[in-house]
Amino acid sequence: MQRSIAGNVVLATCLMFLFVIVILPFYWIFSSSIKIPQEIISLTPTLVPQSFTWQHYGKLLNSSDFLLYLWNSLQVALGTMVITVVLSASAAYGLYRLKLPGRNLVFQIILITYAFPGILLLIPLYGMMSRMGLIDTIPALIIINVTFAAPFAVWMMRAFFSTIPVEIEDAAALDGANRLQILLRILFPLAAPGVASIAIFAFIMSWTEYMFASVLIISDERRTLPVGLAGIIGQYQVDWGLLLAGSALTAFPVIILFALVGRNFVRGLTAGAMK
Amino acid sequence: MQQAKDLPANPPQTRRPTFSASNLYGYLFVLPILLWLGATILYPLVSAVMLSFQDVGIIGTGGEFVGLENYADVLTSDRFWEAGGRSLVWVFGNAIVQTLLAFITALALKQVFPGQKIARTWIILSWIVPTVVVVVIWRWLLNASGGIINYALVGLGFIESEIGFFSSGNSAVTSVILINSWRWFPFLAVIILAGLQSISDDLYDAAAVDGASTVQQFWHITLPGLQPVLFVLGLVGTLLSFNVFDIIWLLTGGGPSSATTTLPVYIYETAFRKHSLSEAAAMSVVVSLFLLAFAVVFIRYAAPRLEED
Repeated sequence: MQRSIAGNVVLATCLMFLFVIVILPFYWIFSSSIKIPQEIISLTPTLVPQSFTWQHYGKLLNSSDFLLYLWNSLQVALGTMVITVVLSASAAYGLYRLKLPGRNLVFQIILITYAFPGILLLIPLYGMMSRMGLIDTIPALIIINVTFAAPFAVWMMRAFFSTIPVEIEDAAALDGANRLQILLRILFPLAAPGVASIAIFAFIMSWTEYMFASVLIISDERRTLPVGLAGIIGQYQVDWGLLLAGSALTAFPVIILFALVGRNFVRGLTAGAMK
Repeated sequence: MQQAKDLPANPPQTRRPTFSASNLYGYLFVLPILLWLGATILYPLVSAVMLSFQDVGIIGTGGEFVGLENYADVLTSDRFWEAGGRSLVWVFGNAIVQTLLAFITALALKQVFPGQKIARTWIILSWIVPTVVVVVIWRWLLNASGGIINYALVGLGFIESEIGFFSSGNSAVTSVILINSWRWFPFLAVIILAGLQSISDDLYDAAAVDGASTVQQFWHITLPGLQPVLFVLGLVGTLLSFNVFDIIWLLTGGGPSSATTTLPVYIYETAFRKHSLSEAAAMSVVVSLFLLAFAVVFIRYAAPRLEED
């Protein structure tokens, strides 16, 4: 591929622009979170920190409920992840391996549920959870997060299943393996990148969820991270050091997960939306 | 096609499952998710409709049947239609900004350059971090005292002194739209990129031989080739964008003086601040019907006409 010099300049400008708007804000948050308070609130922002301190992180971990919120968020996210993977992987298998009649209809229903406005379900789900005695519990959040993560996960998973040739299954069947054995021993290992992608997707969806958690959780000690951080934002005198450190630590787990399986995840996102 | 092969030629003597038995088996895999979605979407929807005909204030309290009273209240309320208008502005504003940014990004990432693989993965960073982090990032960047954007704008002479981006109506709406677009455009970009990659290079080569300009190639090859992807994005993206609640709520709380109160924010306020649950349920039903109508019209007129398999 050859490009003209003008083409190169345009491309470099676009990439630079993207780098500045996507990556730099994250640098800015992190670099500010390790400055001493005087430098944080200084009217002349410093691009490279002139001071260095972990004091905001120390305060966050020692004298706030951050670790408690983190633990709650982890429970919700892991629960959501496990249930979403089981439900979505088996549904994707049923829909895209077995070539069922009516699968296009189910597929469309799933598309619609993914885009279904959560706010419209917030009120009736609140009522339902209250009748089931699940208000102010972790399971309530898991149930709801699965509802919003599973449909898109089916889409992503289907794309991964469809890359595995059917002949592999036939060969295993000839060797006397039953359907369940084929699924667990042959298909799942081959579809492992897909399973990882939907697991991460479910984790991320759950990690970010604010609206339901803000309404369904009442007691302070069961709050998740987004609700807990929002509590700090809402204070009259914002402690920026604490808030920035909290944001950095909240973003950290998803960034680490993404670093591990990011390529497959993006492949899954796009493949799910393509077909 | 596929199914004929599975039909046993003779009365079942082979071990192969029959067509219907195989299907039954397959449906068992799909059943759990359908039950789950039925219990958490369908059932709540039905109970929302029932709630909308009563006069329940706070959840758990009883309510009388009031017929269509809530609907009459909602449909004659100026505030409801104003929120609807803001939702329209919100959806269009986001669509324009995000489409523009996503196309530029996708076209840039389609090129070959060093670090291309890393860029194609990490471009989505702003979409994977929690909304509350996005909110903190932008509140910090746009902070009126010492925020870097104000500092830069003053330094470059665009403004005379620091401004509060969320303190006047129009600038709050613009800021929230831009921030939400910042969060979502990478998601659109990677999907458009995948669509671009599915268009054969031969088409471009042939067009180049015929002397088509880059702009002509974009209109006659790229856009038609992207139609299936754009259809899905137009439908799902519009609905997802309509849904956005947390980023608005956490940035502005719907203010200043309701300037950013879109329908989701208004419904949330009505249900959990004003404690008029039934009225909020009636709004939800009305809004659901509007969205359904949009989806039906969109599918009817914008669906790609090629596949019939």
